[in-house]
Amino acid sequence: MPRKTTQAEGKAKKGKRSSKKSESKPMPKVNEPRIGVFVCQCGSNITSVMDVEELTDYAKTLPNVVHAENMNYPCSFKGQEEIIAAIKSNKLDRVVVAGCSPRLYEPTFQRCVSRAQLNPWLFEMANIREFSSYCHKTTPREATEKAKDTIRMAVAKARLLEPLEPIELPMTKKVMVIGGGIAGINAALDLADMGFKVYMVEKTETIGGYMALLDKTFPTLDCSICIEGPKMVDVGRHPNIEIISFADVLEVEGNVGNFRVKIRKNPRYVIAKNCTGCGECKDACPIEYPNYADMYLGVRKAISVPYDQAVPLIYTINRDYCIECFKCVDACGARQAINFDQKPEAIELNVGAIIVSIGYDMYNPKDLEWTGYGKYDNVFTALEFERLILAAGPTGGKVIRASDGQKPHSIAFIQCVGSRDINMYEYCSSFCCMYTLKHAVMLKEKYRDGIDVYVFFNDMRSNFKGYEEFYNRAQKSGVKFVRVKLENRRVTEEPETKNLTVHGETEDGKPVHAKVEMVVLANAAIPQQTAPELARILNVPLNKDGFFIECQPKIRPIDTDVPGIFLAGACQGLKDIPYSVAQGSAAAAQAASVLRKDSWTVEPLVAKVNEDLCSGCRVCESACGFHAINVEKAGDKQLAKVTEGLCRGCGVCASACPMDAIAMPNYSDRQITAQIGAVMQKETRA
Amino acid sequence: MPLKTIKKETADTLMLEWVLHVKDYKLTLNKNRCAGCQICSLACPKEAIKVEKCPKLDGEKAGKPVVDVDLAKCNFCGICDILCPYGAIRVNLDGKHLLSVVEKESFPQLIRDIQVDTSKCPIDCVECEEACPLGLIRVSRLTPDVKTVESVSPLEHEKSVPKLKVDIQREYCPCCRVCEVKCPEGTIRVRKFLNGKININTEKCPTGCKDCLDVCPITGALYLSDEDRRVHVNEAFCVYCGACKIVCPVEEALDFKRTRINHTSIRSGTWNKALERLASPVDMTKELKTKGSLKARESVKKRVALKETQNA
Repeated sequence: MPRKTTQAEGKAKKGKRSSKKSESKPMPKVNEPRIGVFVCQCGSNITSVMDVEELTDYAKTLPNVVHAENMNYPCSFKGQEEIIAAIKSNKLDRVVVAGCSPRLYEPTFQRCVSRAQLNPWLFEMANIREFSSYCHKTTPREATEKAKDTIRMAVAKARLLEPLEPIELPMTKKVMVIGGGIAGINAALDLADMGFKVYMVEKTETIGGYMALLDKTFPTLDCSICIEGPKMVDVGRHPNIEIISFADVLEVEGNVGNFRVKIRKNPRYVIAKNCTGCGECKDACPIEYPNYADMYLGVRKAISVPYDQAVPLIYTINRDYCIECFKCVDACGARQAINFDQKPEAIELNVGAIIVSIGYDMYNPKDLEWTGYGKYDNVFTALEFERLILAAGPTGGKVIRASDGQKPHSIAFIQCVGSRDINMYEYCSSFCCMYTLKHAVMLKEKYRDGIDVYVFFNDMRSNFKGYEEFYNRAQKSGVKFVRVKLENRRVTEEPETKNLTVHGETEDGKPVHAKVEMVVLANAAIPQQTAPELARILNVPLNKDGFFIECQPKIRPIDTDVPGIFLAGACQGLKDIPYSVAQGSAAAAQAASVLRKDSWTVEPLVAKVNEDLCSGCRVCESACGFHAINVEKAGDKQLAKVTEGLCRGCGVCASACPMDAIAMPNYSDRQITAQIGAVMQKETRA
Repeated sequence: MPLKTIKKETADTLMLEWVLHVKDYKLTLNKNRCAGCQICSLACPKEAIKVEKCPKLDGEKAGKPVVDVDLAKCNFCGICDILCPYGAIRVNLDGKHLLSVVEKESFPQLIRDIQVDTSKCPIDCVECEEACPLGLIRVSRLTPDVKTVESVSPLEHEKSVPKLKVDIQREYCPCCRVCEVKCPEGTIRVRKFLNGKININTEKCPTGCKDCLDVCPITGALYLSDEDRRVHVNEAFCVYCGACKIVCPVEEALDFKRTRINHTSIRSGTWNKALERLASPVDMTKELKTKGSLKARESVKKRVALKETQNA
């Protein structure tokens, strides 16, 4: 820590700490702080190592300490009442609790002292559990001495604590949901029903995500679009939801309660308000191109919607393929919905909270040579198979081979293609086992004995409600399960018949071979391509696999590190439909708990800039990891400005500032030097 | 998952394919038929076709310009197929030569106006077959019971009933009119579908160079004069494909432009743009105006006819 004196000037009595002698402790004068120390026994967590009585007695010797006691569980209801009583009877104006980590219990005690009409920032915590009793179990003497040091430091800082007032930020009662998959749809509907304005920003032409492309859902075999379609329509019709589809999020600024979002709405070359979705343009259009929604197995017109249930039902012209014959313009006629001169539209939104639900992507296994994908005609990925078996798909629900258009008499499903592979994607894609079971059961129920179905798996993961029963159903329906090692799997092709052979090795090393007419790969699900870019825009970190990191994996799985930004669905970690839906609703509830407030309270422990000293050098700007401090023009000067909603009070800017112009409240140089001074006080050690 | 695409090139063909599960789009360029004339590349609405001059080796004949199609840009619309004067490009859907742009009337077709009146054909005459520079004509003799006989020269006893059949592979015919001119009896009548102007600027044209002549697929459209050792044009035979213009090494030595293209009548933005590039913006506007005035004339006619019927 660089030496600074700026905050000390004109504020407090200097040199206080050096005048202390534990034996001849004078009673505090009028206007001097009156500190109470409460030492926690924490069951046996602390007492089993240290003598809390000794610590309490020691605390009593420290300057300005007028009251010290030890108690079991100060955090309990009873303990808190005792603290309040002690504050009142001893007229305490500073409180130190020596116990556990402030991470969990500081807010509890802050609320406690404020109930005793004390400013909550006149409270300090000394962590003698994690720092002493937990980590020095075998050396109780030294642990006790260290605990004394910790308490002494806390008291030294408590003496200099200043009352602070929380910062209130205005709240915009609107929310943006990024990504219109099933998780985003649920989050949007829930929030809209609660009465909040929702902007749903979708990258593609239609909301619905991957679920809208599936045939059936496991384990009930419901028609996927039949259950998602009505929800999509609800989103489209809800008065509180505005869908901004075919759009990209470019920039997000600001903080919880007031995010400023810049969006680019890409041109569809169709005027949304004039398009009735009648489809006459599509019939007139002569050009077809491969449809991504059909996994490129089928085609769509150069002016079209990806599938009939698309929401919003607005046609889009793909100028990469359009030949500009303007037959669609003729077909549209008086509706005049087509505009070839449409330009990208810039939209700016103001929202109070953001829900990220951008979902996942599928790995293209063409790089995995052993699979033969891309090389052999009759090797498919699971999503391609989904489109084949779907009645509304390009083949009308007929499962046919690419090489000859014939129905295969045997199919092999290969699990864990790319996933659970330390060289590719180490994680389990979580839903492949179940969808493979679904495909296998569907094939067996569709073609009965007319088809042999093999599943080459390593581990069958069918946890959660109703899934194991579904596995049993697959086994009973005659699907042959072959357990193979993940290594040494291979697919080969007979060039004449285009039939395939799947080679594998059982757990005990025996080779297995199966001659089949079609192979379906359970390829890994991977993070959405746009995730890194969005992570940069939102300043929410990604984990090593590329999924968004939640605030705390167990107890805060929806929140991100950025207040006001929440996660839902597979972008946080791969999950199937029911869990994405649940997480969507959870994110909505979390967002609502923020949005329902009239203002957002921020702890006042944020950086403060002394405008007289700031030279606008921008060192702090580059040091800040949260984009919370920016140099802006103020009058004729360039000055650093702190965005209070984003500042985490880490103090990096304060230590980086060459002009000593930034101060951290209650972590001032004076307070920290006092703590350092206290720990260096050799003479007070026993 | 990405689309399965194929691009294969051999000495004779260039083949591009989109292999979809339910549909198969295929574009085949027959390099032997291709003259390297640039019409496809000018007309392509996606600018997917590139025609480049073949590097010339010393002392060798100029090679045909090389055509390359970009698989990433091509959308298999088939406009190159429709406009190729030599029928060198074929776009097939599922193996059938069916073009959606024609079916949906979003692009016109060329009118290859070739009429043959075999009743005037003299016996033994194979002038047209021999004259066709592209070898597209085949003359055969019919027996009285309408069976084709290979040899044209009739057997003695059949001389009384001469009947010849002239087969022209129209889809490959650039309508150069060589057969029409060579026919001794005026049996064949051909109208060009590409019209324009071509002129060799003798001042700029380098002596001894005959690159244009080397690439011209129509024998007789360009010829080397014995007098000045320079290439001259016979506009009667020129099909205005423009292959010569690409290989010509000197700017302004060859004035070349297309003006009018004979095609089926259709309203299409793609065609207007193609015409603008193949001919000129002026010619495109001219055609649009003609279409407009034709329409106006027709509506006036209709109104007059309506009035007349009312009066009657």
